[in-house]
Amino acid sequence: MSSVIWYLYEFARKTWAEKFAAAKTDQEIVEIPSRFRNFPEVHKEYCIACGACTAACPAPMAIKLVRSEDSAEKEGIVYPVINKRGCIRCGFCAEVCPTDPKTLTCGENHLIREEFTILPVDKMFVIDDYLCIRCKKCKDTCKVGAISQKDKKMVVDQTKCIACGECLKTCPVKGAMKKIYINNVEEQKMIMKLVVNTLESVINGEQEKIKDLEYGKVLKLDMPTGELAVRARDIISNDELITDLIEKITDRLKMRVIVWDKDKCTNCRLCVDECPSGAITYDEEKGVQRNEDKCLRCSICYQTCPFGVAGFYVARFLLDKMDKTSLDEYVIHITLKASQLPIRS
Amino acid sequence: MVKSLKDIVRSSSIHVCLVNAGGCNGCDIEVVALMSPRYDLEQYGIYVHQNPREADVLLVTGAVAEQWKEKLQRIYAKIPEPKVVVAIGNCPLSGDVFNQEGGTVYAPVSDFIPVDAEIPGCPPRPSEILEAILSVAPGAIAARGRQKQ
Repeated sequence: MSSVIWYLYEFARKTWAEKFAAAKTDQEIVEIPSRFRNFPEVHKEYCIACGACTAACPAPMAIKLVRSEDSAEKEGIVYPVINKRGCIRCGFCAEVCPTDPKTLTCGENHLIREEFTILPVDKMFVIDDYLCIRCKKCKDTCKVGAISQKDKKMVVDQTKCIACGECLKTCPVKGAMKKIYINNVEEQKMIMKLVVNTLESVINGEQEKIKDLEYGKVLKLDMPTGELAVRARDIISNDELITDLIEKITDRLKMRVIVWDKDKCTNCRLCVDECPSGAITYDEEKGVQRNEDKCLRCSICYQTCPFGVAGFYVARFLLDKMDKTSLDEYVIHITLKASQLPIRS
Repeated sequence: MVKSLKDIVRSSSIHVCLVNAGGCNGCDIEVVALMSPRYDLEQYGIYVHQNPREADVLLVTGAVAEQWKEKLQRIYAKIPEPKVVVAIGNCPLSGDVFNQEGGTVYAPVSDFIPVDAEIPGCPPRPSEILEAILSVAPGAIAARGRQKQ
């Protein structure tokens, strides 16, 4: 009974009656709290147009990179534009944005993990410490601060690297900064095989010229890459990758070439026992035979033969781009020289 | 007696019908939050009726799914003139994360019915939804001859 009286007293109070009649939500409930993660803010001037935000965005229509119009003084800048009708306010774009200070900011308490990158890069940049001259040009160029010096060596921090390739452009030493394609490894292997086999077939086609080559002279051959490019594109249609692969192969490949001048052979059979792979055989009728497929190109036959039947040459390659822009127009220069190996007597 | 009393009180209310045309239900939950004591939708005279024939405002959430294409138009046809449609969230505006390649959503909702107000966000804040309803609805009920007190 007493509680009912208390309720009646409570309801009859003027303040309660006023509140009941003019009920309103508190203003602070309606206001957006400071920790609320709202739509991302764009700071155009910091953008480096890496595209990380567009790649990280889970909504298909939310974010787009645009380029402002060129003016007379300078080029237009590239910056992301947020479409509020598509944006889900997840803040991923702010999380992946690699610039410092960030181009995109979203919320103040957003978790940003340093070691985590969701950039879909297909290249990896590695510094060859043997060739690096420590000029630190790459460190100065790097826009995201991924390159640093550790124990007197320059290192690329793979979690920060966005694979923009600026460091490769500034590096003054060829090969010190290495661009490695980390995807499509099987296709890359197939292209390598294709390139090496094609080069070998070109050299084999010039057997007669090689035989006549005098000691100390150089045989020069040119091979246009047109046909090679067409066949390589069947494997993977990425011209940038193919050019890069061909350049790497031609820079490094040192091909050993064995020519066999059968006319000089006197069937002394010295080479037959020496050959480690059994590629050279003796037959009563046919005399000494060499099986090219079994040959290891170890040059032992060349060092053994007293009559100069086996010739041993070394071929080197160079991809000449000749101010051309397309992969089909490049030329591979082949230089072939007799080996300097001493002949065993 | 109570029912007729309610009808008298609600005669000046904004009657709202909520339709989810195929979304994640997040925006509907925000509307439920709006009906809770914290935001208290009814203090503004908004009454969630869930009957298109009595509704002043149609709230649409969700990207339009295959089955909803015609049903949405049927619901829209049932609303008495003048019709006001408020699209809540990103789904009715752009399809949001459902509008992927190979997906079967038919966003935006304005392809099927005319939209008067849009609230971007995934989901939008309850106060944003409230603001949008209050900005379009009074005109609609005034056109119907029911003045808000």
